[in-house]
Amino acid sequence: MEIEHAAVLGAGTMGSGIAAHLANAGLPVVLLDIVPGAAKAAVERMRKADPPPLMSPEAAKRITAGDLPTDLPRVGDADWLVEAVIERLDAKQALYAKLETVRKPGSVVSSNTSTIPLAHLIDGRSAAFAADFLITHFFNPPRFMRLLEVVAGPSTRADALAAVSDFADRRLGKGVVRCKDTPGFIANRIGTFWIQSAINAALDLGLTVEEADAIAGRPMGIPKTGVFGLLDLVGLDVMPHVTASMLATLPADDPYCVQSRDWPLLTRLIADGYTGRKGKGGFYRLAKRDDGSKVKEALNLTTGSYSPAERPRMEAVEAGKAGLRALAEHPDKGGRFARRVLVSTLGYAAALVPEICDDIAGVDQAMRLGYNWRDGPFEMIDRVGADWLAEQICADGGTVPPVLERAAGRRFYEVADGALMALAPDGARAPVVRPAGVLLLSDVKRRGPPVKRNGSASLWDIGDGVLCFEFTSKMNALDLEILTLFRETIELIGAPDNAWRALVVYNEGDNFSVGANLGLALFAANVAAWDQIETLVAEGQTVFQALRRAPFPVVGAPSGMALGGGCEILLHCDAIQAHAESYIGLVEAGVGVVPAWGGCRSLLARHAATAGTPGGIPFGPMPPVAKAFETISLAKVGKSAAEARALGFLRAGDGITMNRDRLLADAKARALEMVAGYRPPEPVTLTLPGPSGRTALGLFVESFRLQGKTMPHDLVVADALAEVLTGGATDPTETVDEDALLALERQAFMRLIRTGATLDRVEHMLNTGKPLRN
Amino acid sequence: MPSYQAPLTDLRFLLHDVFDADTLAELPGYAEATPDLIDQILEEAGKFVETVLAPLNQPGDQHGCTLANGTVTTPPGFADAWRAYVEAGWHGLAAEPAYGGQGLPHVLQFVLEEMVSSANLSFGTYPGLTIGATNAILQHGTEALKQRYLPKLVEGRWSGTMCLTEPQCGTDLGLTRARVEPVPDGDPGADGDDLLDADGPRYRLTGTKIFITAGDHDLTENIVHLVLARLPDAPAGIRGISLFLVPKRLPHADGSAGAPNGVTTGSIEHKMGIAGSSTCVLNFDGSIAWLVGTPHKGMRAMFTMMNAARLAVGVQGLGIAEIATQNAVAYARERLQGRRLKGGPATPDKPADPLLVHPDVRRMLMTMKAWTEGARALIIWIGVALDREAKHPDPAVRREAGEFVALMTPVAKAFITDQGVEVANLAIQVWGGHGYIRENGIEQFARDARITQIYEGANGIQALDLVGRKLGQDTGRLLRRFFHPAAAELAAAAADPALADLAKPLAKMFGRLQQVTLLIATRGLADPNEAAAVAHDYLRLFGLVALGVAWLKMAAAAGRRTPPDGFAAAKRALAQFYMDKLLPQGYGHAAAIAAGAKGVMAFDDEMF
Repeated sequence: MEIEHAAVLGAGTMGSGIAAHLANAGLPVVLLDIVPGAAKAAVERMRKADPPPLMSPEAAKRITAGDLPTDLPRVGDADWLVEAVIERLDAKQALYAKLETVRKPGSVVSSNTSTIPLAHLIDGRSAAFAADFLITHFFNPPRFMRLLEVVAGPSTRADALAAVSDFADRRLGKGVVRCKDTPGFIANRIGTFWIQSAINAALDLGLTVEEADAIAGRPMGIPKTGVFGLLDLVGLDVMPHVTASMLATLPADDPYCVQSRDWPLLTRLIADGYTGRKGKGGFYRLAKRDDGSKVKEALNLTTGSYSPAERPRMEAVEAGKAGLRALAEHPDKGGRFARRVLVSTLGYAAALVPEICDDIAGVDQAMRLGYNWRDGPFEMIDRVGADWLAEQICADGGTVPPVLERAAGRRFYEVADGALMALAPDGARAPVVRPAGVLLLSDVKRRGPPVKRNGSASLWDIGDGVLCFEFTSKMNALDLEILTLFRETIELIGAPDNAWRALVVYNEGDNFSVGANLGLALFAANVAAWDQIETLVAEGQTVFQALRRAPFPVVGAPSGMALGGGCEILLHCDAIQAHAESYIGLVEAGVGVVPAWGGCRSLLARHAATAGTPGGIPFGPMPPVAKAFETISLAKVGKSAAEARALGFLRAGDGITMNRDRLLADAKARALEMVAGYRPPEPVTLTLPGPSGRTALGLFVESFRLQGKTMPHDLVVADALAEVLTGGATDPTETVDEDALLALERQAFMRLIRTGATLDRVEHMLNTGKPLRN
Repeated sequence: MPSYQAPLTDLRFLLHDVFDADTLAELPGYAEATPDLIDQILEEAGKFVETVLAPLNQPGDQHGCTLANGTVTTPPGFADAWRAYVEAGWHGLAAEPAYGGQGLPHVLQFVLEEMVSSANLSFGTYPGLTIGATNAILQHGTEALKQRYLPKLVEGRWSGTMCLTEPQCGTDLGLTRARVEPVPDGDPGADGDDLLDADGPRYRLTGTKIFITAGDHDLTENIVHLVLARLPDAPAGIRGISLFLVPKRLPHADGSAGAPNGVTTGSIEHKMGIAGSSTCVLNFDGSIAWLVGTPHKGMRAMFTMMNAARLAVGVQGLGIAEIATQNAVAYARERLQGRRLKGGPATPDKPADPLLVHPDVRRMLMTMKAWTEGARALIIWIGVALDREAKHPDPAVRREAGEFVALMTPVAKAFITDQGVEVANLAIQVWGGHGYIRENGIEQFARDARITQIYEGANGIQALDLVGRKLGQDTGRLLRRFFHPAAAELAAAAADPALADLAKPLAKMFGRLQQVTLLIATRGLADPNEAAAVAHDYLRLFGLVALGVAWLKMAAAAGRRTPPDGFAAAKRALAQFYMDKLLPQGYGHAAAIAAGAKGVMAFDDEMF
């Protein structure tokens, strides 16, 4: 079955977020809520929310908001109906009864419940309804959290399950994990156990809020919010709800119930409105000082009062850099805390297989995608050692779970003949199977060494004559070594009679690349190593041009941020296959320079190519310049691939992939499509306005200045940019070639990097991650 | 006995022609520091140290200090000299006018300290430590403490010390054991003088401090000790150290020194050099103490003293280099040995030619002069920046000047004291066997100079400060304050035919310094040993280039001198000597830096 229309019932945080994401996938969505006007208000709210649940203004238009009582018949077109109303069985059952009468026959109905068993939900429904019914449990916020837990009942149609799973995977970009119908499914069962375990350990061992988060964060491979910061984020009041429903359904001897305890401080905080970031504060809060500045305060777990947050100093954190086990074995309180939380949480997770899920890879995936852990519990067990964990459990007087016993002396994951194998609950080894159309560079890397590598980049054979260029530098920052490997790659593929046909530029870091290594550049500028900086600029221009002119297709496949130089690489590719969550922009102006690796030239050429086309900008020398100037001078960043397209970073033929895991395969397919009859793009000459255009842009900037929207150095940077984009000393009767534009970029860059104001911007960006307004 | 003449011509040249010290008078608070006044001060200071301090240097070395009946006696004449020094107004030269000082620019204080260090390094330690203590109280003390102590210190009636070192802790002050307890209610302190309460909460301090320069002496009626110690609730390690003020005698309300405060001198050290400076073991036995600055932030307050003191030690190195050079040149002119190798006898009427005709002696003398005058230029350069930092109306200029001073402080301290010792050694070499004889007073310079490489942060620590703290700070922002003006200076010189011969070799070495700076920044991020193991070579290379730039500035200024004179010609020639003969040492350091930490770290501890 095809899913072409969708409906979401319930326009709370989850319902409206799910509707937004269905709209992001391009579907028309009906969003209804029982409170009149609530759905409409939710859509309006989402248009302005940050982070934005919607990927584009067009997506918002795909949502039709309405009221449940009156507009229910509008769900009749929907192939998939998602119920996300209040977490009360009677409310859900009443809604389902109504849905029976209005839904399209054969449409799939799913509930976003996090706690209610499927069997209860379909109690009293028709057989047809039960066959079409399943649980699809999204995580908040639905656009960004990649986990989707799916539970099918005994009577759920296999094709309904397959259709929703496949749709969620390809179109919504979710990592679909098949769960059993048990309380809290996988992620919340283990995740909230972990939270309670960490709270208990912190209280028993006398750790402060900051100390607990300093351990149960990065050192354990968990986001830096740790445990208390996470509670602040999700809301302190959520925890007792989840716990209560778990306690109501789990047997009393389940370790979940055993470790549960009343915590009067939490009750008091919630009662007083300290529900976390959405309330007056939580375990942390931002307090205003007398001078108006803000200070981060942390709650004292003993006294219940706030004091300025302190940076904890525990030796275990340093020791933990050697590994998770070194962390847990460190004798200080941080180490003891880590040990207790790890032993209880990992032991509990091991005991839950196969009760909640048949395979350990599913459990790990759920924790990675649903709680943003770097490693799932079984991957963590491999880090500390299954035998070590079993010993610790025994030492604490616990029972070693059978899965762990069977793993004795072995790892849960192993690489055999280049394939990742996992230990099944019965003790057998089975390959970790990727869905069709999923190609992971991490899997490729297991098969053998790269074709080439240096200190900052690697080149991998991803099959069918396609190579994948991966950045490996810190934060994927671009440096001379990356440029060098690009040179070598171009020579390798371009050489006659070789096996290679195309190149994909892709990596599996959090961000594709946030641009050139600013720290190194600032250091070079501070010691006045101007020659070295200019060499790097020129080398980048030469290499990116060579990439563009290479006799084989190159596809850029970004995910996450592709900023500055990271964006400029993409602009020199023949095509872009972007992950939907790509944030692309030329942000150089933020650090007081202009794009000088061909970014100005490329964006200008792209706009010029579309000038005068239907729906495009007007024809003539000025409109492309003005459009590029606006984008670059304001350092605009697309907050999704769709927005990047609107800004001109993606062209009409460029593709968007919703699922991160499918990006490489899609990019490779795109590259292969272009191989037959490939001819590199011709050099572009442009007609540009010259000094008169620069004056016009100056007036435009002046109007901003008069409105008080610019800072002094903005004017300097904007003028340098205007000079580049208008072609320097040219005039509309001449043409400007690529080399001339690159020379203008280089000169403007070198002029700006020598100014103190630019260096102050760079330094501020490095120190704070934010642009300096000066 | 060695002779000394203050280097007034060179100082005037540096202040007026090279580093624009004349513009200091334009800064608020420095209106009095006109060129005329500066010249007058130079002359008077020269006269004073030549006639009062220099004659006491050799006797002071012979007598040393003595401890009897619990008090220290300084060498004969020191107490009178101190009174003369104070009465002539030298002690309060750059001190705050609000507390009785003259408020003149710091750069003039540097000039004075250079002269004092040349004439009598031991004597100079007494006013030097007092200035350090004065600054710490000025910047971190409560208003009451300032009112009670600063006028006395500025006036020179009382003196000051810095008490950091303990038997188990030198460089690593985190090991400090001295501790305080709050004075309980009902404990009247010592004197029962209620007015003392106005100075803030009182503590009782207990502990032993060693190597305390000017810890006890007979120059002043009271001594104000600034002591690092731990509060009762102090965290362990370096973050639990606080700074306290402990007077030797508790002051009365009327400002006079009262009863002893439980500070006793256990012994004094018998040292290699600076015998006239009293170096004490001080025992604090429940001494009444006041907190200076914030609890547990004593290191911050202490660094106020340390930074100024580090520059002052660099000036000491310069002072020794100057007097050693003067006496070597004088000897090489008088001493007749051998004939010159080429062109027949230089002094046919005498039995032999003077030493300075011989190439190797000339090499030594030129080396001494080039190091000394280069070091003086660097000190004046930093001194003027220090004054801009203190008084310039534009906060951006103040900040940038402060960053330059912070960057150059470890370079000045370590490089100049290293060169001071080298120059003092060369002086002995020029004097030959006579330099090795105590009576001639030449070997005293080498012995006195040696401490400057050690105290106020050993030179290895200075190198670590440079690569570990200064180099990386804000991704190299401090470096900008040296490299950008230096690059501009070099570019201008390269375009000037009169200077191109200097600019070319210096630009090459500057390029090496740029390269290794980036190399250390990159490698040091991954492995701190990579930075630490090459820190010494880096500081040396930095110092060589910094002095090179100073020489370039001097050559440029000398070229502007009208009419051209012998002084200008000598400067230009010495600048060339520096670029051709001394600067190339930098290549060795650059190569050693490029080799990285491996050579140092790939040697098991057992292999030593």
